Amino acid sequence: MIRKNSMSFRIITRVLLITISLFVVIMVGYYYYTSNIIKESTRENAIQLAGNLAGKIEQVLQPMEKIPQMVASTMALGLFDPDSLLPVLDAIIMNNPTVYGSAIAFEPDFFPDKGTHHMLYAHREGEGTQSMVIGGEDYNYFYMDWYQIPAMFQSPYWSEPYYDEGAGNILMATYSVPFYCRRQGELRFAGIATVDLELDWLSDLVNEARIFDTGYAFMLSANGMAVTHPDRAMIMNKSIFSNAEEWNAPDLREVGRDLLKGNSRFREYHIPGRDKLWIFYRTLESNQWAINVVFPDREMFASLHRMNILLIVFIFAGLVLLTLIISGVVNRLAAPLTHFAESARIIAEGNFDAKLPEVKTDDEMKELHNAFSHMQEELAEYVVNLKEATAAKEKIESELRIARDIQLAMIPHTFPPFPDLPQIDLYAMLKSAKEVGGDLYDFFVMDKDKFCFAIGDVSGKGVPASLFMAMTRTLLRNIADKESSPAFIMETLNKSLAFNNESNMFVTFFLGVLDLRSGKLSYANAGHNPPVLIRAEDGLTVFEPAKSIPLGLFEDFIYTEASVDLKPGDILFAYTDGVSEAENEQEELFNEDRMLEVIGAHKNSGPRELIGFMEAAIETHVQSFPQSDDITMMTIAYNG
Amino acid sequence: MIINKETVNEHLVLHVEGRLDTTQSDGFEKEITEILDQGHDKVVLDCTGLNYISSSGLRIFLIIQKKMMASGGQFKVCNLQPSIKEIFDMSGFSMIFNIFPDLDAALKA
Repeated sequence: MIRKNSMSFRIITRVLLITISLFVVIMVGYYYYTSNIIKESTRENAIQLAGNLAGKIEQVLQPMEKIPQMVASTMALGLFDPDSLLPVLDAIIMNNPTVYGSAIAFEPDFFPDKGTHHMLYAHREGEGTQSMVIGGEDYNYFYMDWYQIPAMFQSPYWSEPYYDEGAGNILMATYSVPFYCRRQGELRFAGIATVDLELDWLSDLVNEARIFDTGYAFMLSANGMAVTHPDRAMIMNKSIFSNAEEWNAPDLREVGRDLLKGNSRFREYHIPGRDKLWIFYRTLESNQWAINVVFPDREMFASLHRMNILLIVFIFAGLVLLTLIISGVVNRLAAPLTHFAESARIIAEGNFDAKLPEVKTDDEMKELHNAFSHMQEELAEYVVNLKEATAAKEKIESELRIARDIQLAMIPHTFPPFPDLPQIDLYAMLKSAKEVGGDLYDFFVMDKDKFCFAIGDVSGKGVPASLFMAMTRTLLRNIADKESSPAFIMETLNKSLAFNNESNMFVTFFLGVLDLRSGKLSYANAGHNPPVLIRAEDGLTVFEPAKSIPLGLFEDFIYTEASVDLKPGDILFAYTDGVSEAENEQEELFNEDRMLEVIGAHKNSGPRELIGFMEAAIETHVQSFPQSDDITMMTIAYNG
Repeated sequence: MIINKETVNEHLVLHVEGRLDTTQSDGFEKEITEILDQGHDKVVLDCTGLNYISSSGLRIFLIIQKKMMASGGQFKVCNLQPSIKEIFDMSGFSMIFNIFPDLDAALKA
């Protein structure tokens, strides 16, 4: 089955279109060429046919014309007795079967003793002849055409055909020749000699001529009257002009005029309501009668039309065969494509071993096959690589998740942390920008009166920062176990961190030791953002900027410490720069001023609530922009 | 991060432009290290175009300082924007670096 949008359908329609156009051009050319040949050969046939007919007719007519001419010659010699001429006429009739009658008619009063009229006449009667002398008031031949016209023109004359009733309705024509006699030494016009010619044989002869199925020949007289015609009713009844009038056929009138001029032509003509006709006409030399050969256009080209129908049938059969062959070839060529499409679908589902169609030819289909199998190999390899890469990535991610858990486990995260220490209330949060981060906070009770807390920020982020953070946190706990002076703890911590610190990482660090009894807070700041002190009575105070550089840079740096007295109700807010430098999409920082505003607005809140408000404010500022740095906050309320 | 180099009065002056945050700092560190490995006695870092610095960026300043100190050279920083100067002050880095208000002052010192 050929689908409408299939390749074979498109190829077939194009090939058929071109082939049919080609055939149409060839057919039209062939038709015109062949029809011209047919026309030409038909014309030649018609000329030959008419020529043959003319020849046969002339063969009869010309000897006939000799008879009265010989009579005229004899008369001119004057060797006759008027009464002895009758047997001559009898002999003429007996010797010429087509002659019906013959006459010798004299001028008025030619023989004074025989009266004004004197005419000798013989005609065929049964097997013999009958001869007579006629003329007189009852038969005044001087005014008859056969006498008057040749006498007037002094030249031979063929009469129009006519039916002679005396001869039993035989169609006849008369040939008249003027003759002369010597009287008183000079040759004078003496009368007319005639022969009456039967014309039945003419009809038979002309009607015998057949052209194609219904083509025929006919003769017209010099006046255009039908002399012979297959339709006998036409003979002596219709002329070409009366028929033209009756059939309203101007073409036919044109033909009549042309042929009466003595022209010969091969042409077509129309009679309204009938098929187109072709005609050839020529005139006889003797009497200017016209021989016409007529045949229908339909029959003339019938063989061509039959040939055309045959050709069309053959072409149609050829086209059907062509269609089947092309369809077969294209389908066979394109068959692998359908399989390729199926294979592609299977491959798309992830089955890279999908079987490809077998291609035996070494053509474009083979290239496609090779490209497909190459694609299969590449895809399979790619997917293997992708799986490995994904597995590796998943492994790293899983390790990072574990590292994050470990890191988070290093910092205290149980709140409230010291239910049995009523002097302080504390809350802290740490939110890394990546799985693991470099921020840290820590707090612990040193002895029953001293409480230590710290907040720090390692330079950079991610795994390196987290390792440095872990190191810092571990060292801090070890050192603070033995010492309680913030400056000393800082220096010791710095020494350890700076030792062999090839990576030049550092950590900003704020360390405070609070005397729970007196409220005295001793602290040291190694380059960290100064915390904010919220005084219950006097409002906000920001700690002075750090006087010491971050930890880990120079081993022998001297750190200093300071102190401040906390009163009950005071709250300390410590943070890392992830808070003040939280960025939104427009790269605008949250900044310290805004942070202080939030603190001012909620200075009477508890530690946990204050951090909650701050987180909300940061979130409002940052919106959906990814967090760029670790965020850490710690609030410590001193209750006294 | 864009670095433009020029030499003025035996000083290699590096004009830095843009943000020196965590994502930029690796590239900056590599570029700076390459420049310093060519061996320069006096290096001035002109921070007129430096809009932002993170702790990773501070670390690179520190690397430069340590390298220059190790080779007995001079490292000067000038034209710090107020917000950056604040970070330097807060972190105590002002104590480590030779910071000048403008390029002229840095070249004369």
